[in-house]
Amino acid sequence: MPTITFNGVSKSFGANTVIKEFNAEVPDKDFLVLLGPSGCGKSTMLRMIAGLTEITAGELRFDDTVVNDLSPKRRNIAFVFQSYALYPHMKVRSNIAFPLVMDNFRWWHHIPIVGGLARRAILKRADVAEKVDAVAAMLELTDYLDRRPKALSGGQRQRVALARSLIRDPAVYLLDEPLSNLDAKLRSQMRAAISALHARVRKTFVYVTHDQVEAMTMGTRIIVLNDGVVQQYGTPKEIYDRPANTFVATFIGSPPMNVFLAEAGADGLRVGDHVLPGSRDAAERVISRGSAMIRLGVRAEKIAIHPGDATGENLIEARVAVVEHLGAETIVGFALEGTEGVNVVGAASTSGLFYARLTGEVPLSVNDPCRVGFALDAVTWFDHASGRRVEL
Amino acid sequence: MIGRRNLGVGVRTLLAALLVILAGFPLYWILNTAITPSNTLYGGGQKIFPDLSRSAHLFSVLVTDNSFLRWIGNSVVVALGTTVAGLLLATLAAYALSRYRFVGKGIMGFGFFATQMLPEALLVVPLYSLFASLGMLNQLYGLVLANTAFAMPVATFILKAAMDSIPYEMEESARVDGCGALSILQIMVVPLIAPSMAAAAVIAFFDGWNEYLFATTFITDEHKWTASTGLASFIGEFLIPLDSVFSGAFLFTLPAVVFFLIMQRRIVSGLTAGSVKG
Amino acid sequence: MSVPQTVPTSRKPRTPLAPYLFIGAAVIYLAVFAGVPILKGFQLSLTDTQLINPNGGSPVGLDNYAALVGSEVFLRSVVTTIVYAFCTVAGSLLIGTVSAVVLNRAFPGRLLARAVIVMPWAVPTVAVVLVFRWIFNNDNGVANAAFSALGIGAQGWLTDPRYGMLSILIATVWKVSPFVMLVVLAALQAVPDELYEAARVDGADMYSTFKSVVLPHLMPTLRIVGLLMTIWSFRRFEIIWLLTGGGPADVTNTIVINVYQQAFGNSQLGFGAAIGVLGLLLSLAVTLVYFVLETRTERKNRVAV
Repeated sequence: MPTITFNGVSKSFGANTVIKEFNAEVPDKDFLVLLGPSGCGKSTMLRMIAGLTEITAGELRFDDTVVNDLSPKRRNIAFVFQSYALYPHMKVRSNIAFPLVMDNFRWWHHIPIVGGLARRAILKRADVAEKVDAVAAMLELTDYLDRRPKALSGGQRQRVALARSLIRDPAVYLLDEPLSNLDAKLRSQMRAAISALHARVRKTFVYVTHDQVEAMTMGTRIIVLNDGVVQQYGTPKEIYDRPANTFVATFIGSPPMNVFLAEAGADGLRVGDHVLPGSRDAAERVISRGSAMIRLGVRAEKIAIHPGDATGENLIEARVAVVEHLGAETIVGFALEGTEGVNVVGAASTSGLFYARLTGEVPLSVNDPCRVGFALDAVTWFDHASGRRVEL
Repeated sequence: MIGRRNLGVGVRTLLAALLVILAGFPLYWILNTAITPSNTLYGGGQKIFPDLSRSAHLFSVLVTDNSFLRWIGNSVVVALGTTVAGLLLATLAAYALSRYRFVGKGIMGFGFFATQMLPEALLVVPLYSLFASLGMLNQLYGLVLANTAFAMPVATFILKAAMDSIPYEMEESARVDGCGALSILQIMVVPLIAPSMAAAAVIAFFDGWNEYLFATTFITDEHKWTASTGLASFIGEFLIPLDSVFSGAFLFTLPAVVFFLIMQRRIVSGLTAGSVKG
Repeated sequence: MSVPQTVPTSRKPRTPLAPYLFIGAAVIYLAVFAGVPILKGFQLSLTDTQLINPNGGSPVGLDNYAALVGSEVFLRSVVTTIVYAFCTVAGSLLIGTVSAVVLNRAFPGRLLARAVIVMPWAVPTVAVVLVFRWIFNNDNGVANAAFSALGIGAQGWLTDPRYGMLSILIATVWKVSPFVMLVVLAALQAVPDELYEAARVDGADMYSTFKSVVLPHLMPTLRIVGLLMTIWSFRRFEIIWLLTGGGPADVTNTIVINVYQQAFGNSQLGFGAAIGVLGLLLSLAVTLVYFVLETRTERKNRVAV
């Protein structure tokens, strides 16, 4: 059971490079999530692992074996497609058993009719039937084995696709956005089901998604990709708490991390017109890095909002722009007074808004003046020019 | 407004009736002639509504002419041969054209289309000299070989159009499950395009069934004539009763009409898709 | 469950050879049974080969072609071919389109009407010829019976040079129109209903709806069908050969009939081949013109959009 090693793997279609040199090592039995916006190259990456897309340069290894030139079958993998790719002309039983049937394929199965009979015979063999029944029972498909895919619901099709991947007991499971065609409720059920599956089969999973909730809840490790470049590779907690750059910071988390632009001066860090109280030490450290500009990343739940007439340390004047009541918590979107547009990056740059996540009800409504604050030790610092996280 | 719509339906029905009569009359006339006694036909006494009690005469040629059955048998052999050879080649070619990008694909695609332009009357001259030197004149398989060259490209267009609609992911999934290219074609693609395979088979079969020029040129041995050559030999011939000739024409036409009616939709979609992209 | 430890020497999983293996058999087949004969036909056209000795014959250079250019029979057969092709294409496009428009909307008995109107396409040519020869029979044919009853009098449909061309045109258009109908009908059914509704809201009557909404939608289809009909008309042999044999008085002597006459009637394989080559060039020219026009229209449409 392999450790997957990417050694400078890259992919280009003609002059168009979709994956730039990629290095990583995925330990055995991990649940690796490839996360990124659409078009970032994550599916291409998965297909290269599967052997469906050729690797342009670099080396892909399963343990010590270079698999660049191995056919998908010889890589001992299973692949769950976004569209499920069930075989519409076969019943559920044949769909699930198909990898086993192909394991027993002989050259003379190419002869018409003879081959068809041979495949049917394999399907009826006791060991094959037993495996199919076991997998079907595990995924609650027993009642549907004699139906065709057309007669199944979306969730059932999804489970058939999973069953087909389970049947051969491969070393690596590759899943390409398998939940994107399901409705919200079913999706959260299947998230739990797939996590449970991973715990049960104890194999390496590589899971592609653009949904950060899936990534955070299911992954043991996440690779964040953008424009074919790996932004960060780490555990969900690392990625959430210590994002490697402003892209990861604003891509992960809902609402995204707030990133303020600040300028260090003699009296402290200045965000727009406001000097952050008690930031003189921090400002000195910023200046000692050689540039006065710095970005401050603050998670929405680390931001406190007070009514406009509140007084206190460390508060910046702002104005409420959006209030979303979610029941247990409230998301407040706000704009800093007198600083429109100049100091924002990431998701906030389009709306000019920052977000705070507060528990319970908040006595604020749209257009109310307010005062926001955050503790400096909750800040993640990013270099102004490169956007990379820095330690101060 | 209502009046005009009704008028529309009326005009439409009237026009349709006219077209049905124009299209249907010659077909009806085959039946009519087949069940009218030969001496009545030559006496100028053929009625628009014939005596239906002679309906059994539709099949009279089966009784009156032993050679007709043999000719039909030869036609079946030629048509089946054309179907098998044409479909085999067309399936493989269509898969390449539908699923791969390769150097020379455009040229080859045009080559397939170009066969639609080749006059058989030109090809028949060199083919005759080719077959003569290979000793393939008077052989049914020679006819199969010549017919396949014309039936196969059309079948290829139909099959390619059908294959184009199969999602790639399904084939990739089959590859992960251990299928080679040939297995994918056999186990996945062919069953999925079965209706179009049937349509292509109908086209190829009746290409061989209907073909006259090659048959009449390459086959001189009367025992090896196909039904089209045999029936054509009755043209201007007065020894065989005309009602029997038309009974033969009816029996020769019937299977073609029935199968084309069943398959027409798929045949048309394949033909147009193929030629538009050709 | 372990991955194979040996690495095969850099064998690509998807060899670029695969498509050639798949298409190879068909291409070789066409090369042998269409390509080689065409080349052989071209080579024959430069010889004086006779039917009795198909592999003999000595090269005569361009003599056959030179003889053709000055030959009135040949020039007339070119004109005949063009007239035949033009009338067939125009007739079948008109009747086929009208049939499709009629069959596109519901009326009582539509399915049956459609089935009957499609049928002629499937009828084997030999059967078509048999029945049309009988219908056009001078003494006992139903055509002359009807004309006599109308007081116009019997005509020699297949024997009078005035009617020879008309007769083969009737039989041909009868047989090929259903194909046009089926293709146009498929295109008509792809016209979105909203377009008709929009035209009705705008107060357009039936004729202007057809002209401004339906016809533009049909044009690409009509053009490709027109091309197919044209090149098929150039090569159509059996129906003419069996109905009139090129007669009466050569009025239906198209190029392909001429080829066959020379090769198998007059035993002049070489001379016949030369006619065939020129006929093929005509088809190629038409196809070329079509594709040039097509790309130009496409470009114009793109600019318009």
